[in-house]
Amino acid sequence: MIFIGEKINGTIPAIQKAILAKDRDAIADIATKQAQAGADFIDVNAGTDPSRELDDMMWLIGIVEEVCDTPICLDSSAPTTIEKTINVVKQTPMVNSINADKAKLDLLLPLIKERGACVIALAMDESKSGMPKSIEERMEALDIIFNATQKIGLDDSKVFVDPLIMSVSTDYKAGLLAFDCIRKIKEDHPDAHITGGLSNISFGLPKRELINRTFLTLAMALGMDSAVVDPLNTALIESLKATELLLGKDMFCRNYTTSFKKNFESK
Amino acid sequence: MSNITTYLAELKMEELPQEVEKELAAGKDPKEILAECQEGMVIVGEKFANEEYYVSDLIMSGVLFKEVAALLEPHLKQGDVEYKGKVVLGTVENDVHDIGKDIVGNMLKASGFEVVDLGVDVPPQKFVDALKESDAKVLALSCLLASCYDSILATVNAVKDSGLRDQVKIVIGGGPVDETIVDYSGADAYGVNAQDAVDLCEGAIK
Repeated sequence: MIFIGEKINGTIPAIQKAILAKDRDAIADIATKQAQAGADFIDVNAGTDPSRELDDMMWLIGIVEEVCDTPICLDSSAPTTIEKTINVVKQTPMVNSINADKAKLDLLLPLIKERGACVIALAMDESKSGMPKSIEERMEALDIIFNATQKIGLDDSKVFVDPLIMSVSTDYKAGLLAFDCIRKIKEDHPDAHITGGLSNISFGLPKRELINRTFLTLAMALGMDSAVVDPLNTALIESLKATELLLGKDMFCRNYTTSFKKNFESK
Repeated sequence: MSNITTYLAELKMEELPQEVEKELAAGKDPKEILAECQEGMVIVGEKFANEEYYVSDLIMSGVLFKEVAALLEPHLKQGDVEYKGKVVLGTVENDVHDIGKDIVGNMLKASGFEVVDLGVDVPPQKFVDALKESDAKVLALSCLLASCYDSILATVNAVKDSGLRDQVKIVIGGGPVDETIVDYSGADAYGVNAQDAVDLCEGAIK
């Protein structure tokens, strides 16, 4: 399971405060903890005003790279920010994100291909509409994306599809839709990864963490192999380890038993 | 502690076979490697008894040990391997549980015993025949079902009837088995886990 640590995100008030106050230690601490918890990538999203976003991104990247070797997931809705940071980071990064929007694909895919980076592909087309409603809409967007990635020679294994998980509180079949979507993507693109944020699914409901990790278990059974998460959440790691065990991915139960001894403190 | 003992005790799946190949290539006596592996298995058994290792770890140690034994086999000459003793092992009649018996079998083999494994649902006479044929001095019976206590009793009685009872120690084990079943069946002792089984068999051949 490929974990993308979600905690350095300027849309979270505490992080925004740290960015604005240039509180280096606060960012360093969160980066270190996520790396220690076994994050495979550390997402970095400045989330600040476009006029200063690039500077803030550079500042955040500098701190993360100073305290750990974990690759960075460059998270910005502005393609120019990705363009200006993709060759700055030391480790091969992940790019968060592309979608079926042609302008974005045309600008970012050559850079991604050249850097050998991975990319998160949202199953939507931001140039046409907002969040897709149906599986069909998602698959249409993915067709456009995979046509473009294959044309440029970017391997499916570099693509992390985000099926855009919705909340069950507003549509009680949102979980089912996500699972059907994961199954369909895996059928069409067996080498592509499936990722996504886990927290949308439980929006507006009590005991969200239970819903999130149960979703993870079911989604993993259908082929989800990555997630954008808080890697410090040990209950989530417990579910992850038990699920990998039950899916036959843990020879002699070694990961499960050794993680248990470490109180499931890291992935 | 030797590298081989450490790697086995710590269940290092990649390092252990590599080290064995390396030491064989360097001309180390395969008998010594085997002895170091057995030492490692003893540590695994202790860790299991201390609840530091789990059943899955025991199974893994058995697989690792088999792997090493396969690497050593072409280098060992006939008569190179000296066994501590022989044990006839099986699950009693009308009981088909095999996991516990297999773990005990693996641990006994790793501890240097020759094991005659008769499988599951073994009739009393089959145990007696195997004892006669192998000349084993230990009979280890597995029983997981309370409804099969009479199979233990029948097996002990069959050994008595064959005239071998005073030459053979009978040890029993399995979930529900305890001292009362030892008394009921006329066996010699019971064990609560695989390490216990090894200790009992070692005691029995002294």
